[in-house]
Amino acid sequence: MKLKIEAIGQLTSGIRKFTLAPVDGSPLPRAGAGSHVVLEIPGPNRVWKNAYSITSAADAPAYEIMVRRVEKSRGGSAWLHDHAKVGDMLEVSPPQNLFAPQRKAKRHLLLSAGIGITPFLSYLKLPGLAYEMHHCCKPEDEAAFRTLLPFGPQVTLHTSRNTLNLEALLKRQKLDTHLSVCGPESFMDVVLATAAHVGWPAAKVHKESFGGATGGEPFVAHLKRSGMTVNVGREESLLDVMEAVGLTPPCLCRGGACGECKLTVLDGVPAHHDHYLSETERAANNAIMICVSRAKTPELVLDF
Amino acid sequence: MSKNRPVYEPFALEPSGRAHLVVTSLDAPPEGIEDSFDNIEVWTVKHNGPGVPVLAAGGVRPFRSTTELLAQLGHRLGRETAGLRFYAIGSEAFIWDAYNIGVAAGLHSSEISLHRAGPFVRRVYCSHCRTMIEDVPANIVTCPSCEAALFVRDHFSRRLAAFMGVKVDAEVPGEIPAAEVFTS
Repeated sequence: MKLKIEAIGQLTSGIRKFTLAPVDGSPLPRAGAGSHVVLEIPGPNRVWKNAYSITSAADAPAYEIMVRRVEKSRGGSAWLHDHAKVGDMLEVSPPQNLFAPQRKAKRHLLLSAGIGITPFLSYLKLPGLAYEMHHCCKPEDEAAFRTLLPFGPQVTLHTSRNTLNLEALLKRQKLDTHLSVCGPESFMDVVLATAAHVGWPAAKVHKESFGGATGGEPFVAHLKRSGMTVNVGREESLLDVMEAVGLTPPCLCRGGACGECKLTVLDGVPAHHDHYLSETERAANNAIMICVSRAKTPELVLDF
Repeated sequence: MSKNRPVYEPFALEPSGRAHLVVTSLDAPPEGIEDSFDNIEVWTVKHNGPGVPVLAAGGVRPFRSTTELLAQLGHRLGRETAGLRFYAIGSEAFIWDAYNIGVAAGLHSSEISLHRAGPFVRRVYCSHCRTMIEDVPANIVTCPSCEAALFVRDHFSRRLAAFMGVKVDAEVPGEIPAAEVFTS
């Protein structure tokens, strides 16, 4: 659907807020807590498709998103920061939800860092949610993040790793609590490792991955059934390149988390960057998540 | 035969846990488990025993009945924190009662392990009058409430922690199956 950029706000030096509204005031599809939309962002040579969490409430008249300017931008976030202006029209997918709040949890422990705050902003708009939230950010961004969060003992902002005692925090949670975490890979790795160390079962730990696609060595992919060969450049993802040549491979989260874009590898060795495949599946080298993973060999042959 | 029956693994403590609570409807836990981990507590049932002496954590706490044990369990789990592993050992009725209390307290199935032990007796649910009949030793039993002669089907309800009992000649009136003592 086509949505108009209704407002743009600068949250921190690196994060902008966008309000996306329908032109004719018609109601938007409901976006439950934790959902995201995929934006099609015009680039000089191609269209970028980036996923962003919706931070507004489920039934809000417009979608609000937050976009961090990525240092080595794949293109989308740079355009949204440098060129997007109020009134621009963008193609926006209907909302998808891969990070809905856990229904079985009676309490939620929410841990985020930096832009990882975004999915939780919609959680906090749920009435009556029992939660404890800890958000980590740079000292210069603290004031901006504070404006987004409710005031009270259930929310703590940390501007230094030293003030968050993860182990103690995870140890004192009740049995009916689920942990949800969102932020940079390094942050999530530490949280997940600490949780496992103090005995949290994997079933109660939930992570949201975003912006997973990172560049790497260029490689060539042969798409056997399509009879096509594509060149994946240093700053491109295999999914983006396949879409650029007019193919429509399955995809959903574009961050290596959902499993939707899994393709069969017929030859070559994939370099796995996803969070979906198990260790065994990775070792088998016969499947690839095309949104984030790349190739260890110069060429891959895929069943598509 | 076992389609509607849960399958149980042999008892083993989970090293991934930070604390362990073992409850059993028997009068003693598996030998030596009190010493196998640091942070372990065992609840047993000693009929007509001295009862629970103190409410101190750790060690072995004998309850006078499974009723008393299960009544305390919800309160205890409500005070527990993440990292606990919970184990129940005993009759199928007891371990699934314990499981249901554990889930209500927020435990996930991966934090609970169940082990069947003791005599092969079953709790039977009379599907005609909803009475629970405890410790049934064989496949034909008379419901003490509605006096129906029941056949105990090999169908276990985890929610009720009971086997289904239906009128003994429900399929063909007058046809009574052979009585058998449970061996599983």
